Amino acid sequence: MTATLTERYISATIRSLEPGMRNDIRAELEASIADAIEARVAQGEAAQQAERRVLAELGDPGILAAGYADRPLHLIGPKYYLAWWRLLKLLLWIVPLCVAGAMALGLLVSGQDVGESIVQSLTVGLQIIVHVGFWTTLVFVVLERTGAATGVKWDVDQLPEIPEDGAGRSELIASLVFLGIAAGAVVWDLVRGFFPTGGEPIPILSPGLWPWWIGILFALIILEAVFAVALFRLRRWTTAMAVLNTVLALAFAAWALILLLRGELVNPEFLSFVAVAGGDGFAAGNAQAAGNGGIFRILAVLLGCGIAAGIGWDIVDGWRKAVRERGTARG
Amino acid sequence: MEEFDTQLQELRRGTVVLACLQLLRSAGYGYSLLEQLDDHGFSTDANTLYPLLRRLEKQGYLTSEWNTEEARPRKFYRTSPDGIRLADTLTTEWRSLATAIASLTEEEH
Repeated sequence: MTATLTERYISATIRSLEPGMRNDIRAELEASIADAIEARVAQGEAAQQAERRVLAELGDPGILAAGYADRPLHLIGPKYYLAWWRLLKLLLWIVPLCVAGAMALGLLVSGQDVGESIVQSLTVGLQIIVHVGFWTTLVFVVLERTGAATGVKWDVDQLPEIPEDGAGRSELIASLVFLGIAAGAVVWDLVRGFFPTGGEPIPILSPGLWPWWIGILFALIILEAVFAVALFRLRRWTTAMAVLNTVLALAFAAWALILLLRGELVNPEFLSFVAVAGGDGFAAGNAQAAGNGGIFRILAVLLGCGIAAGIGWDIVDGWRKAVRERGTARG
Repeated sequence: MEEFDTQLQELRRGTVVLACLQLLRSAGYGYSLLEQLDDHGFSTDANTLYPLLRRLEKQGYLTSEWNTEEARPRKFYRTSPDGIRLADTLTTEWRSLATAIASLTEEEH
């Protein structure tokens, strides 16, 4: 004999309930459903159709079972949602960036191809994003079902400062001073040198860069200064300014990274001076690091990654401010 | 009225509890209560009512007893003394709400 629809409905409902409740709920549901069918039949409906209608009205057995078991029908409810979302955002900012960054650095130092290193660290970064998302959510799903407190309470002191638009006077002064120091340092490096050599100054930047490459650098510095002044006069970040900022930043990156990769950025005379001044200790360290291409190569990789990270942040920051500015303009 | 369904549902939420507690001052079983509620104008879905009765029983506002004397065994619920106190409190609150709402429109008349 095949089971009736009612039997199937009841068994689907109580399947996920605690064993202790099952028999009681089964008996009660049987009576309730039979009562409802009876009432419909008394009004002249056919028995089979009445049964179908009654069960259809009762709806998805999963919902009914959740009602009996007092189970939530959501993954994360309002009690935990904000705590979950804030933590997830924080972790997604920090963890993948740190891991992928460290990974890229390690691969580059160990002499891997640049493109391959980037692809590998991006892959790992994506995996980390999936892991962070899954495990954080899982913890909160368990919390939601056990009803534990997160211990996170909101307080007036947590109110964030109103973010600066980054187009104020202090920003202008800071960037002009920084650009001035940078330009001054380049000239000082050539004329006076940064460290005592006991004779002629040895510049850190390769003298072969004069005049063209250094000329381009000065042009970029001047453009950055013009950009800072324009930003200050405009009083706010716009999409156009973010685009300009990106172009300028990329130009800087190209300038530094091309020279670094071609090994033309740093004065070879300066490197040999360091090697000599470092004496035996340096030679031993260099021999140890030979597998990774020597100390200078490691330093070059670190410098290159540092430049790339700084430039990347500058670009992202510009877009962040432009987007936020657009948001407030609309609101 | 369909356009205001969400708001109406929200306003009605909670009134079913009160209606159950009042109706079950004399014992009743699931389906009879469903019909009684409907007759009194509290149209409720069966899949809301049946778990609700269990919850109120668990919270001690209802007591239950199986009646096996008739052909079909049924679980009868009755409002407990705690449930009666809850019903009285809710009714008082409802009355004061009704007065408060009436006072909102008084000036118009």
